[in-house]
Amino acid sequence: MSFFTLMIKNPFRNRTRATLAIIGIAIGIATIVALGMVTGGLQSSTQSTLKAGSAEITVTKIGSGNFGSSGGAMDESLVTDLKNTNGVKDTAGILRVNSNVSTSSGGSGFGSMSGFLVNGIDSSKLALVGIDSVNGTIFTNGSSNEIIIGKTIAQNLNKTVGSTIDIYGTEFEVTGIFESGNFIYDIGAFTSLSTLQNLTNNTGKVSYIQVKVNDNANASQVSKTIQDERPNDLSATTAVDQANRINQSLGMIDTASWAISLLAIVIGGVGVINTMIMSVFERTREIGVLKAVGWKDRRILGMILGESIILTLVAAVVGIILGIVAVEIIFKFFTTSQSFEAVLTMDTLLKAFAVALLVGIVGGLYPAYRASRLAPTEALRYE
Amino acid sequence: MTEENVIEIHNLQKTYDKGKIKALNGIDLEIKKGEFISIMGPSGSGKSTLLNMIGALDRAEEGTIKVAGIDLMKTRDLSEFRSQEIGFVFQMHNLIPNLSVLENVEIPMYETRIKSEEMRRRALELLEAVGLKDKADKNPTKLSGGERQRVAIARALVNHPSIILADEPTGALDSKTGDVILNLLKSLHSKKQVTMVMVTHEPYVAKMADRILHVLDGKINNSS
Repeated sequence: MSFFTLMIKNPFRNRTRATLAIIGIAIGIATIVALGMVTGGLQSSTQSTLKAGSAEITVTKIGSGNFGSSGGAMDESLVTDLKNTNGVKDTAGILRVNSNVSTSSGGSGFGSMSGFLVNGIDSSKLALVGIDSVNGTIFTNGSSNEIIIGKTIAQNLNKTVGSTIDIYGTEFEVTGIFESGNFIYDIGAFTSLSTLQNLTNNTGKVSYIQVKVNDNANASQVSKTIQDERPNDLSATTAVDQANRINQSLGMIDTASWAISLLAIVIGGVGVINTMIMSVFERTREIGVLKAVGWKDRRILGMILGESIILTLVAAVVGIILGIVAVEIIFKFFTTSQSFEAVLTMDTLLKAFAVALLVGIVGGLYPAYRASRLAPTEALRYE
Repeated sequence: MTEENVIEIHNLQKTYDKGKIKALNGIDLEIKKGEFISIMGPSGSGKSTLLNMIGALDRAEEGTIKVAGIDLMKTRDLSEFRSQEIGFVFQMHNLIPNLSVLENVEIPMYETRIKSEEMRRRALELLEAVGLKDKADKNPTKLSGGERQRVAIARALVNHPSIILADEPTGALDSKTGDVILNLLKSLHSKKQVTMVMVTHEPYVAKMADRILHVLDGKINNSS
C-alpha cells in the first residue's frame, strides 16, 4: 500500500465526522461556485452585448434613463439631425415599448408573463443593432403585423416562424428569428418603427438613437460632440462607457465573492482544525506506535496535513456539484432565465479548488504539527 | 563498546515531574548480541522506562547509553535508529484498525526506500512465519487477541531489526495464548538471531530468557 493510499483511507474512519466536515466546507465552496457562475454569466453576456452592437454610441434623452429607456422620449427628427454630425456614418431611431404577451403556450418561468421588449426600427437599420442574419425573413417597413423575435424569447415562449404574438391587442406574425448575441435584444422583438409608433400612439417619437461612427472616427470624440451640441437635452454613451459601468457592478459582485471566499476559508478552516484535532486525539496511541516503528516527525506531519487536504478536496468536488445544481435549480424555477445563462468558467473551478486547498492547509497545519511533536512515550501511554 | 555487546548502559538516570520522581537511578547494563533478556520488577520500578531508553523513545538526563553502536545521548534524530535497529512489541498490540493485517505489517517500511511490491512480499513472508498469511487481508478487529499480537510481532520484525523490545507482550492475553506468543518469540529469537529484551511481571515468562534482570527503584537489583 502506498503512503498516498494510507492518507486517503484515514480521513474516512469516522464517517459521520468526515461527512459533516465535508458538508461544512462544501457549502462555502458551493457559494463561491454559484457566485462565480453568476458573475461568469454576466461577464459573458456583457461581452457579447458589446461586441454585437454595431453602433458605438447610444443617445438618449436626459432623464429617460440609459439603454433600458422605453416609450417615445425623443423626436424622430433627431435621428436625421445626428446623422449630420461630424464623424457619424449612420443613425437608427428605435422605439422601445414593454409589451404584455398573451400566449397559450406559456413561458419557462414566473417572469414570462411580465412582458418583453418590443423595438421598432427601420428594417434597413437592423445591422446597427447587431442583427445581420435572420432565420426566416425580416419584417417589411410599414407592414401591419410582421415581427421578428430574438432566439431566447422564441425558446421561452415556444414560438417559431409562422407563430403569432398578441401585442397591444394586435396579432403579429413571427416572420423571422434572430440571434444578435446581445442578450437584451435576444429577449425582445423588432418590428417596423412606424407600425409600433402608430400602435402605441408614439407617432414621430423614438426612445433612443443608435449611432455608428465613421471607420476613422473616434467614438468617444463623436459622443462628446453630440453631447456638447445639446448639453441640456441629450446624453450620449459609448459602448466602452457602458462596459465600464457594467464592469464596476461586476467588480462589486466579484468583491462580494472574494469576501465570501475568505469567510469560507475561515469557517471551513476552523471546521477542519476541529475535525483533524479530534482525529489526532483519537489516534494519539497510533501516532506513538508510528514513532516507535521509526516514522519521522515530518512524515507524520505530512500524513495529517495530507488527510486534511484530501478531506477539503473531496469537499471541493461536492461543493462544486452543489453549487452547479443550486444555480440550475434557482435559474430553472425562480427566475425567468431570459436575461442570461450562468456560466461555469475555468477560473471559478480553479478558485474553488484553490480555496479548498488553502482551507486544507490552514486547517490541517496545527493538528499536523501537534501530532508530529507528540512525545512517543506519552503518546503510547495515552488512553 | 565491545563487539559482543549490542547494548551498553552506564549510570543512566531519568527523572519525571521536575526531578521529584527518579525513574532510573544509575542503571549499569551490558547486553550481548543475540541474548534473550527478561526484565522483572514491581510496577513503577523503572523497567518500562529502561526499555523506552533502549528503544530511543525517551531520553535520559545523565549517563551513557549505546545501542547497536549508536550513542543515544548524542544522536539528535533517533527515528532512523528506531526504524532500522529496533522492533517493538507492546502489551496492547496497537494495530491500526482501519488497515488490513498486511497493511499494518507494512507500516514500519514507509521510512525505508522499499518499493510497494517488496513491502508486500516481506510482510507476507513474516505473516507466514507467524502463521497468519491466510488472514493478510482481514481487518485486525476480526482477529483474536493472540492473533493480533502475532501481527504485532510480524510488524516488529519487518525491518530486520537487531533488537526486539517487548513490553509485557503476554500481559493482555490468557495463559494459553500467552504461551503461544512466548514460544513464537523464542523461536523467532533463535531463527532470526536477534537480541530480545522483554519486560514482564510473570516469573514463569521471565524464565524463558537467557538472563533475568531485577529492577527496583530505578536500579538493577540483581541479575540471574
